[in-house]
Amino acid sequence: MTFDLTLSGSDLLLLAPEIFLTIWLCVVLAVDFTFKQIDHENLAYLSVGGVIATLINLIWFDYTGVQGALFKDMFVLDGVAIFFKILVLISTALVLLASIDYVKSFKFFKGEYYFLVMMSALGMMFMASAQDLLSVFVTLEFSTFGFYVLVAYLREDQKSSEAGLKFFILGVFAAGLLAYGISLVYGETGTLVFSEMASAPGSIGLAIGFIMIFAALGFKIGAVPFHSWIPDTYQGAPTPVTAFLSIAPKGAALAILIRMFYVALATFKPTWVLLFVVASILSMTYGNIVAIAQKNIKRLLAYSGIAQIGNVMIGLAAGTKRGSDAILFYLLTYLFANLGAFAVVIGVSNLIKSDEIEDYNGLNRRSPFLAAAMLLFLLSLAGVPPLAGFIGKLYIFVAAIEQELYTLLIVGLINIVISMYYYLVVVKKMYINEPHDPTPLSVSTPLKTVIFVGIAGTLLLGIYPKPFIDWAVDATLMFSNITAPTASDPAILTSLAGG
Amino acid sequence: MGQLALLATLFAPFLGSVVLLFIPNREPLLVRAVAAISAGTALLASLYVFMAYDPDQGGFQFITKWAWSEELGIGFHIGVDGIGAPLVFASAILLFAGIFISWHIKDRTKEFYIFLLILAAATIGVFMSLDLFFLYFFYEMSVLPMYVLLGVWGSHTKGYLSMTDEEGRKLRDSVGFILNFGSNSKEYAAMKLTLFLSAGAVFALMGILLIYHFSPVHTFDILVLREVAHFDGTLATIIWVLVFFGFASIAPIWPLHSWSPVGHAAAPAATSMLHAGVLMKLGHFSIIRVAYEILPDATRELMPIAAVLCVFSIIYGGFVAYFAKDTKYVIGYSSSSHMGYVFLGMAALDYISLTGAVIYMFAHALATGMLFAMAGWVYDQTHTRDIPSLGGLVKNMPFLAGAFIIACMASVGMPGTVNFIAEIMIIVGSWEKYPFQVVVAVLGIVLTMAYLFKMMRGLFYGHMSPEYAHARDTSQWVDRLPLLLMIGCSIFFGIFPMHFYNVVRSTVVPMLDRINQVAPLVTQNATGLFP
Repeated sequence: MTFDLTLSGSDLLLLAPEIFLTIWLCVVLAVDFTFKQIDHENLAYLSVGGVIATLINLIWFDYTGVQGALFKDMFVLDGVAIFFKILVLISTALVLLASIDYVKSFKFFKGEYYFLVMMSALGMMFMASAQDLLSVFVTLEFSTFGFYVLVAYLREDQKSSEAGLKFFILGVFAAGLLAYGISLVYGETGTLVFSEMASAPGSIGLAIGFIMIFAALGFKIGAVPFHSWIPDTYQGAPTPVTAFLSIAPKGAALAILIRMFYVALATFKPTWVLLFVVASILSMTYGNIVAIAQKNIKRLLAYSGIAQIGNVMIGLAAGTKRGSDAILFYLLTYLFANLGAFAVVIGVSNLIKSDEIEDYNGLNRRSPFLAAAMLLFLLSLAGVPPLAGFIGKLYIFVAAIEQELYTLLIVGLINIVISMYYYLVVVKKMYINEPHDPTPLSVSTPLKTVIFVGIAGTLLLGIYPKPFIDWAVDATLMFSNITAPTASDPAILTSLAGG
Repeated sequence: MGQLALLATLFAPFLGSVVLLFIPNREPLLVRAVAAISAGTALLASLYVFMAYDPDQGGFQFITKWAWSEELGIGFHIGVDGIGAPLVFASAILLFAGIFISWHIKDRTKEFYIFLLILAAATIGVFMSLDLFFLYFFYEMSVLPMYVLLGVWGSHTKGYLSMTDEEGRKLRDSVGFILNFGSNSKEYAAMKLTLFLSAGAVFALMGILLIYHFSPVHTFDILVLREVAHFDGTLATIIWVLVFFGFASIAPIWPLHSWSPVGHAAAPAATSMLHAGVLMKLGHFSIIRVAYEILPDATRELMPIAAVLCVFSIIYGGFVAYFAKDTKYVIGYSSSSHMGYVFLGMAALDYISLTGAVIYMFAHALATGMLFAMAGWVYDQTHTRDIPSLGGLVKNMPFLAGAFIIACMASVGMPGTVNFIAEIMIIVGSWEKYPFQVVVAVLGIVLTMAYLFKMMRGLFYGHMSPEYAHARDTSQWVDRLPLLLMIGCSIFFGIFPMHFYNVVRSTVVPMLDRINQVAPLVTQNATGLFP
């Protein structure tokens, strides 16, 4: 395999968002080192400005339909890539804003924090474009690298160090699995590019290789049985990092999963559908049941995140274009609800220095705004209309029933009821219980902005989702010919109809 | 005009709750005024809808249709038929009355009204949805506000309040206590209600998704589905069972009723009114809308299930109500017993009995609304719902006692109230098909008389304990207005039922012709058919 590295100007245009962000994060670092006395808040706004500029660039790409591939398909810019890049960047901007107050409590390295967050974001933007196993490996490690540092950022806090260590060891293990899987797949097929693998004949080596790659990506998205790092890491990491970790890497890894299974493994669909059905059922059930017992809000959201990923995998199990549309839309709804919920957690922990659910008692009396926002976000996660989460779940279920995945559907529906219980327990604490300490809480402006964006997204996607659904449908146009939705299986139909 | 009125009925309460967000809590009068104005708008608009519905034309009227998502086959499609129109009207009456019943709530007034308005608007939304998606959307949306309303502004049972020692208090505050079945705290009631109804809802959603998947056109539009979708055999049975039991859990049919009395008891007065008055009717209504419209054949074959279960509802609810010692439990069990009548009326698949069932839903909404409103007033004055410890309140509350007697009469079905018309139609219409059930239903009326008059005697007559000497009557107009409104409606439609009857019948007859596979009759002029 030879690389042809002659790049024209129009090729570079495809890389413009990444190049711009790279320059910008160097600028942020340089400003931090050069002007020692600069307020860290301004540094945050500088970073957010860069992220938003990149975001606008990508939206313009999406609007004008700029698409293409570079480096022999190692880097592609298509609808799915643009969608996931926008997802990553929105979450980055919101996380940066939500971090401002939290970072103030750090003793040192305030400037680097923003640099590291943006660097991870950059890695994840590349992940969204990876169309080749080699670039999957490189970009995945690139994005995780920033997170290793970020998770262990609270140096004095033992929990944070523990979280960092756990994340690191398991992360490196996953990287090893990934590399081994890639080498097996390469050995069997002789190629690294997804689209060239589609015609490869099935073999044991190929199957083992892909299962290893799936395990490594399952680690990133936190699917059962690769979830064991999630609760401790989420609890120990600085809360804004947890918020970031809970959405952006999951989105980027899902971009790779969708590409890999829809493009490279399209011919083996019946086999991997089973894989996703099992992983989805395990994730939903395990996440929801264990979440009931949690006493720490970050752990609760961690387990709820595992369950939500179970829901997302219903879409993958459907394995159709409708399934991928549903995943994209679901991730949008999850982005706003989940980041919003974490923003409330950040707000509360800034003020009362606690993440225990017990300390949310009477939040409605202390800060009606925070309590109402949390209520909306939790109910959206639970899937209650008219909030975004409901439309997301319905979309996923519609995708599942089109493929007649009844078991998955029934488990998913029952899990809605289970999850409602623990979300409502938090609601109970906030609204029904009386506060131990009734002093009112006030929220800072940047955090309020994040929460308002979350509320706006949660309501807009719930009440008027049409433009977003259309966006998701357009983004995945390239999958429309790969796995067309099969008409309902006549055998099942006749057996059900008693014919 | 009718379209606008229908939209106003739906959106006025929503708009009211949004406006309330921007009003500070320290101005309770303004909060109440905004709530009352939005509810009043909904009431007037729904009255217009109800009166303007043209029974000669029949079918769905005042239809509004906006595309919502072509990708998923969902449209925002609303309109009412002869079944929806009176129920929308009943919801608006109860919302308006509920606003005034809750006039004296001091704790977090704003939040209370926001949740109450959302609850009512969502129920109104179900009654006018012509799209399965929006039917479910509003249905599930009406369940969640109940959790907060019950949990925050509800009241505990006597057993819970007596746990005042150290250990008892600790137990009361633990999370696990929610699952303690003996406690009946308001938290337990709220959680049980929400989980039960959500579980029912997801069953129904499964049925809805199956309808969506197996219909030739992938759409959620009920008007399209009823024409193009034909289900038979096992598939129809599965969908019917999912839809029926999913929605019947809110109705509530025995044995899925257990959340209901607990929920009624814990809820604040206005919420109990809406809950018993209209929320429970969402079940019957949704079954009619989904099963009767889209699965007529399965309905004809399987509706006898409801005829069997309704007997248990009537008898069980009645007996528990007779022996209950808590005012709200008596009314709550009486409600779940009375909902059995509606199922009986529906199961007979006869146009007289089904018309009676629909009128009964309206009548029961008013009667049970009155009872809960007054039980709430007594609780506010005495801070107890325990019937044995109360008594002799007639001396302090002559007006309330009078209104209570009327409410009991209405609930029993005295001639002159709309309940009488409904009951007699159910009984007459079902007699041919289910004589045994009719006998049970008549005995159930006797039972209703027994427990309601027993409660009335326990509350208002006999010896009064001196600790309740300070209890006072409803004297302000805000307290009397809702009671007079409900009594007035109940008696007015009891004496002049013809428009109501024609409206309901105009929808019921073609629907039943379809189910019973009778060739459509020449539209008869309904006037003069009524006995």
